[in-house]
Amino acid sequence: MPSQLKILEEQGEDAVTIRLFGEVDISTAQELKERLYSVVDEKKTNLRIDCSNLDYIDSMGLGVLVGVLKRVRQGGKNIYVSNLKEGIRKLFLITSLDKLFIME
Amino acid sequence: MAERSESIELTLPFKAEYVSIARLVASGVAARIGFDMDVIDDVKVAISEVCNKLVKADSSVASSFRIRFEIEKDRLTVAFACEDKSLGRLFKEENEELGMYIVAALMDEVEYSPGDGSLFRMSKVVEGLN
Repeated sequence: MPSQLKILEEQGEDAVTIRLFGEVDISTAQELKERLYSVVDEKKTNLRIDCSNLDYIDSMGLGVLVGVLKRVRQGGKNIYVSNLKEGIRKLFLITSLDKLFIME
Repeated sequence: MAERSESIELTLPFKAEYVSIARLVASGVAARIGFDMDVIDDVKVAISEVCNKLVKADSSVASSFRIRFEIEKDRLTVAFACEDKSLGRLFKEENEELGMYIVAALMDEVEYSPGDGSLFRMSKVVEGLN
């Protein structure tokens, strides 16, 4: 089956923007992890995760984001999460992850 | 909706790439019952999290597990079952895993040892229907 996740990367002035398209779940979380870790290690900058086109994320995807946040913060940077759809925003609220990331 | 209980059953292999199929079926069933979009999302997320747990654990005895959607007048109950009864160990109330925490938060009722032969059951109540 083709991957249900597409990841686009865009270099900005003060952050790399990662645009997520589709679904982050048990079958795509590893792909997201590898991609984000490589961006963080390579660019050593802030990350902005644009979720305008993210339709679904599960606890494994959220776990990946927390792991990436830890790594980003070790370098003194941060992760901005933007344009969450309502259902996904609810997950951030339930899990209190909205307090961990900078929500836009 | 249904006066008598009606059910739909889905059998899935213990494979990550099929969890999205469970979400698709969950959406269809929840929409059919008349749940709002945000409630449909809740059911989808909860089902997916339980599937994740089963797929991650896998089984040396069984090659697949079953998801039964029980449609009743005022609620949707989703039961997870498998020939491998030892998987019941995955579903404990004191579980501190993020996935099951999300399930408990999104569903109206969860049953950890259902006693009906299934591993885990959870329900969402239909609100605001005639």
